[in-house]
Amino acid sequence: MDEAFEIEAQALAQVLDELDYFQVLKIGQNASPPEIKSAYYRASRAYHPDRFSTLPAGELKDNIGRIYKRINEAYVCLRDDTKRTKYLADVLGPERQKKLRFVEASEQELKKEKEQEVGATPQGRKFYMAGLADMAAQRFAGAERNFKMALTYEPNNPNFKAKRDEAGKLIKNDMSIR
Amino acid sequence: MAEPDDIAIGIDLGTSYSCVSIIENGQTTVIPNEWGERTHASVVSFLEDGTVLVGNSAKRNIITNADNTVYSAKRLIGRFYFSDEVKKAQAVMPYKIIEGENNSVRIQIRDNVYSLPEISALVLKEMKSIVENYLGHEVEKAVVTVPAYFNDNQRQATKDAGRIAGLDVLRILNEPTAGALAYGFGKDITQKIAVYDLGGGTFDISILEIGKDVFEVLSTAGDTYLGGDDFDDRIMTWLAEGFLKQNGIDLRLNKYCLQMLKEASERAKIDVGRDGSAKIRVEGICQDPSGKVMDLNATLTEAEFNRMVMDLVQRTFKVCDEALQSAKMTTQDLDAVILVGGPTRLPIIRTSVKHYFGKDVMAGIDPDEVVAMGAAIQANSLQDAKSNHYLLDVTPLTLRVGTVGGYTDKIIDKNTPIPIERSKSYTTNRDGQEKVKIRVYQGESSKAAECEMLGEFEFSGFRIGYRGEVRIEVTFEIDTNGIVNVTAADVETGQKTSCTIRLSSGLTEDMIKVAKEKNARATLARGEAAA
Repeated sequence: MDEAFEIEAQALAQVLDELDYFQVLKIGQNASPPEIKSAYYRASRAYHPDRFSTLPAGELKDNIGRIYKRINEAYVCLRDDTKRTKYLADVLGPERQKKLRFVEASEQELKKEKEQEVGATPQGRKFYMAGLADMAAQRFAGAERNFKMALTYEPNNPNFKAKRDEAGKLIKNDMSIR
Repeated sequence: MAEPDDIAIGIDLGTSYSCVSIIENGQTTVIPNEWGERTHASVVSFLEDGTVLVGNSAKRNIITNADNTVYSAKRLIGRFYFSDEVKKAQAVMPYKIIEGENNSVRIQIRDNVYSLPEISALVLKEMKSIVENYLGHEVEKAVVTVPAYFNDNQRQATKDAGRIAGLDVLRILNEPTAGALAYGFGKDITQKIAVYDLGGGTFDISILEIGKDVFEVLSTAGDTYLGGDDFDDRIMTWLAEGFLKQNGIDLRLNKYCLQMLKEASERAKIDVGRDGSAKIRVEGICQDPSGKVMDLNATLTEAEFNRMVMDLVQRTFKVCDEALQSAKMTTQDLDAVILVGGPTRLPIIRTSVKHYFGKDVMAGIDPDEVVAMGAAIQANSLQDAKSNHYLLDVTPLTLRVGTVGGYTDKIIDKNTPIPIERSKSYTTNRDGQEKVKIRVYQGESSKAAECEMLGEFEFSGFRIGYRGEVRIEVTFEIDTNGIVNVTAADVETGQKTSCTIRLSSGLTEDMIKVAKEKNARATLARGEAAA
């Protein structure tokens, strides 16, 4: 085993919990997907546990295991465009220390988000969908009416409000053109 | 190159057949047994004199020594006694399947009771001894393959089988990944390939990106209830129903007739694939009520066979769709398709796969041997610090924890590269609480009942405090074998807590120790070569 590598692995393991994923993969925060992938391959070449399978159990082996698991964790987050955007905002924000390790929204939260998008009540959804159909057919007045109806079932749905306002604006534009 | 005494073997432990390979003088070599057979039926027959027969000669005992001959053990390994697969097996297997402790499955042979890992360990012992006979010295290190879609219970049980057989299992390797390794690639260009792996009892599809020295699995999907055996079953049903219509006797009601029928069906499948039609003739399959001995005669054409199995073939493509979707790819993005597993020899599979992927398939390496060869390559590279390729594999199933009301919450997504870990905090919800119980599942549904339960972990030994005061951080780890480890620590003190697994299909350390001694004592009978 290369002595320089041993020192590097130990140092990296020590500061691992203070690094963000970009630092773990040794890339810039604006790295492109191909750059992320080749950084991941580079890191795998150095730290993949298979390379060390004959190494006796001990601190070095544990450290390598810990580092490699974090490399995988970093890759899983950064290779996904949506996750990477959110993660970048997280680590640039004031709560950086707490958000170094990306935690996905739970399924319940995602379900809630989706409900906000298309409606949590059957009637709300129905009027919202009708409104979208009106928008697509450029019947803006009808769309606004449907979104308003949807809002009577779910008065706090931000998505419904946004759509109502959008339809309202389009009605005005439509009128001014005529 | 690994030292001779340091040699590690690659074992493909299949549902129907197993195969063993090593790297010798830089060449990947499949090791034949003393009769030149390169693949060996995964059948274990317990003889009257206490010896154990494994392989193709044991397979012939399925009819003559039916109660004491175990086959298709891989269909049962790592399953709970209450699972559908076990119920189904009980109806058709001639050997006795009974319930062991903790909902586990056991097999009773005369007065002896065996766990599934013990049965598989006897197959592994045979593979080990084939290599030892060939090399003239002992081997103990091995890479053993499993279907990529095997869950944690099944992987753990396979690893236990290796330990019981006295093997140091360096790695539990996914079969399609092994297939890709055997084909090598790894030239200077990056390629995206699909491995279509239809075995005796399972189907897997893996999508890989292969660079100069990297094998990266992008996604994997599978069906552990679909394989060549199901093709045999279709022929069997067709034969049995034809016979019933003609003679008014249902051959399936007698386990002895059923085995003859099964054997004839497997042969017919192979014949129809090779020759375009199969003549089926079983003399003396049963007696009619007056005691007259009856024969079974039938001819199976390729067109008829294709009609029988078309829906099974279509089912594999649903799984392929899923894998491609996970990899965010279409068939057009692929550079090559590899075929793995004996049933991929069938023209119906070749043509359908070619049609589905829109490109010619690669089948240069014998599909029965390719997995064992890949395992040997990985075994060799794990022994060699200067190894020049890296395998980046994934977990096939989403890891979940049980929540209130029969629901589950995602911990680690499917197709996440391994090894990986994720922690989750739990707080106590009663004053003076001493234990925290966590149920762990694998599967793609948010409902616990639709997932496979891995076990119930009970943590204790943390501080006792008021409700909500004690926080426990539970870490879920999936290692390079795809095996799940769960540990917990008190957040404030960092004190690791002790863990008991309360519900599990697995074996305890003590049970493995006893089984290992039993396996070491077992004498492998040397039967004559298969006809």
